[in-house]
Amino acid sequence: MLVIRRGCGESLYIGTDVEIEVLDISPSQVKLGIRAPKLVPVLRKEVLLTREANRAASQSATAGALCALIEKLAAQRAHAKPGDDGKPFPAP
Amino acid sequence: MPSIETCFGTLDYQEEARIEFPWGLPGFEEARWFVLVDQPESRPLVFLQSLEQRQLCFMTLPIAEIAPDYRLRVLPEDLERLGLDPSRQPEPWEVLTLAIVCMEGKQAASVNLLGPVVINRYTRKAVQAIRDDMNYSARQPLLAEGAPCS
Repeated sequence: MLVIRRGCGESLYIGTDVEIEVLDISPSQVKLGIRAPKLVPVLRKEVLLTREANRAASQSATAGALCALIEKLAAQRAHAKPGDDGKPFPAP
Repeated sequence: MPSIETCFGTLDYQEEARIEFPWGLPGFEEARWFVLVDQPESRPLVFLQSLEQRQLCFMTLPIAEIAPDYRLRVLPEDLERLGLDPSRQPEPWEVLTLAIVCMEGKQAASVNLLGPVVINRYTRKAVQAIRDDMNYSARQPLLAEGAPCS
């Protein structure tokens, strides 16, 4: 991994048309400004990971695997403490 | 009562039972309307079935079932999208939080605790509320394989 030290107000380029500027630094976070062409997607890593997980999840269920999962969950649940009333939405 | 063809066969649903993801889900930005399919025989799994694409169906688990200690952290912009006060985290009675289950090939089932599905129980608006910390994984193993011997 390339490591570059930058301070507040300083920036760097990725290629010739993506600029990343350090706007603010706090003890736990840095605030970055990004200038990039509209066609370049800029995503938080967590969003990218979730997108990949969603795509995999959308085609992951087969009937056999599903049955096995339900059985395992049922076994696990037998040891769990009771939850709420199981009703997802309040009565209208 | 409207109905759609799904992976489960024909599903009847109440118009007011629809859940709206105004911004879709990452990877499925165009999928906006869903219903929850909660069948006694498949509990605690709850299916999130698209009303626009019959093949699109997510298996989910209520987070309260799988991670009772889970601390929700919804970003202010997602709270605004849900129609909730952006200055505080929602109370448990205001939202339903679900984790999407992933089963890939022979790998063990995992759940996405990094991006829980959060549904406003009253307005039925929903977002996939992706955290801005990495304290939880998008592929958290669901079942501990084999209890440790001691």
